[in-house]
Amino acid sequence: MNNLKKTKNSIRWVIALKEEAQVILDYYKLKPINEKTIYPIYKNEEETHWLIICGIGQNNAAASTAYLYAYSNASNYTSWINIGIAGSCKGNYGDLYLVDKISTYQRKKSTYPSTLPKTTLPKMHLFTSDIPISDYSTYELIDMEGSAFFDIASKLTSKEFICLMKVISDGPENDIKEITRLKISNLIKENLLKIIDVISYYERLSEEELQIIDKPKLFHEIKSKWHFSATQSYRLETLLRRIEIFCNKKDIEQIIKNCETSNSVIKVLNTKIKNNLVNWSKF
Amino acid sequence: MIETIYVEDAIQNHPKTKFILNKFKKSRIISINKYGEIFNKRNQNFRIQKANPCLILAHKKDNFVLPAPEGFGIGSSKNFYFSHMYNCIYDCRYCFLQGMYSSANYVIFVNFEDFDISIEKIIENNINSKLTFFSGYDCDSLALENITGFAKHILLLFRKYPQIEIEFRTKSIQKEPFLSVKPMPNVILAYSLMPELMSNSLDNKAPSISKRIRVISELALKGWKIGLRFDPLIHGENWKELYQELLENIYNNIFLDNLHSVSFGSLRFPKRMFKDIFKLYPHEPLFASSLSLNNKMISYDIEIEEEMTSFCKNLSLKYINEDQIFKCSI
Repeated sequence: MNNLKKTKNSIRWVIALKEEAQVILDYYKLKPINEKTIYPIYKNEEETHWLIICGIGQNNAAASTAYLYAYSNASNYTSWINIGIAGSCKGNYGDLYLVDKISTYQRKKSTYPSTLPKTTLPKMHLFTSDIPISDYSTYELIDMEGSAFFDIASKLTSKEFICLMKVISDGPENDIKEITRLKISNLIKENLLKIIDVISYYERLSEEELQIIDKPKLFHEIKSKWHFSATQSYRLETLLRRIEIFCNKKDIEQIIKNCETSNSVIKVLNTKIKNNLVNWSKF
Repeated sequence: MIETIYVEDAIQNHPKTKFILNKFKKSRIISINKYGEIFNKRNQNFRIQKANPCLILAHKKDNFVLPAPEGFGIGSSKNFYFSHMYNCIYDCRYCFLQGMYSSANYVIFVNFEDFDISIEKIIENNINSKLTFFSGYDCDSLALENITGFAKHILLLFRKYPQIEIEFRTKSIQKEPFLSVKPMPNVILAYSLMPELMSNSLDNKAPSISKRIRVISELALKGWKIGLRFDPLIHGENWKELYQELLENIYNNIFLDNLHSVSFGSLRFPKRMFKDIFKLYPHEPLFASSLSLNNKMISYDIEIEEEMTSFCKNLSLKYINEDQIFKCSI
């Protein structure tokens, strides 16, 4: 859809209501994109953060997650965040919880999102329902999107890159009918510092993953000088990753400078690795 | 610190579950139906999980004891292995477990009693064969001993069968299950070793080689039989000096009368597994050396393998007999 520049960290937000998203939009300076889209989409100038307002319900959550993935050209190192309000019989009104188990009526099996390590934030079991629930007695957290969001997001990336956060908005002592737009916005606002802290972990995670999976430094430069088939390109990438461990860019350029064909590039790189004796005192 | 423990519903009241959970009072406990809901699912990142693994307590249903792969033995006619656990607390860069499972979480099977039944059945069915059982193929057999107590449990069983060997393969320096009981001649405590310099880079989170040697020395002196497993042999600058120093250090510091066996193994990865591991850790120095595809395995060139094995074997022969030396070739 778009020809996007490669950015460092990569975060995608899927949020049901504009009121839940407003604080995030403001803090991360996300602006509406200049195109007509099925769901409202926002992004920051660096195109590292994208946010979609999905509306209420599992169908919307699933469709918008997939839509944002395609529209924003998300990658497999993108972190996916779902935040919103939830009912609860257990937690305190206004508190933020991470979700580490999700159940639904429709499915026998539960799913188990990962949560960020070494956090002091409390965790709870989320029940995603298609209809509002007023009997809170059975569930720790109740929402209407989490399960579908997680199901789709976990097809797009590994589960370590997915995070669900819920702020308790209603429960046995806080009637769901008393929720207002302002209250929703304030509930998220009051947890902004905690949210920022969580997001900084996912930003770092996606940056680190990019460092690992990104093409080796000289890959594109070499490919532009010689013609490599798809198989040769894969071979070149692997060899460059291995040789970069003990050779700097200059040395590699020196090794390949007299090569006439892509085959000879691969051959000299391979020979260099074959003759390398790892100096274990350096690692 | 284990932050999250998943517990299968079926074993929530198993005494071993309670025993283990009692050691993690601050962890979050999440009930699950089957461990497969968490473990080895697609779309998991092994490397990220490895930084903060969860624990899964599960019930093993079958395949408690399996025939060991060809080339795994130490002299017996029949070899079997069992694993009360999947995955390892260490993070050794050459370990096949990195490519084996997509998940880095630890699974502990709490129904130890079913392992006992299977082991005894195999012993009964092979009454005329020399048997060796190996503990710690899909895990390190002792690394989580203070949590599981598995070694202590299984020692009791093997005390009943002094003619049947059991090998605990480990990098752990856990001594307690062995210091608290009388040495058993059918038990081999087998330690994986490599030169300290290489181990510092490759054996992440594992006890240092010098600590391992101290424990080996202590246990050998107490009367326990020791196995030394130089598997895999790692190539690199000054490898001869490094291995000579290591071997001489060990042979000069342990009570050789209690040295059961020594085995040497080459660095080998099935092609597919190598691809997965390389994808996880593309910047590892281990992969910046002469590794190539030989007989569907990624390994050092045959000449390198043979030179290293024969160098280490010849040096060992100054201290031990040839029939104590084995080649691990899986």
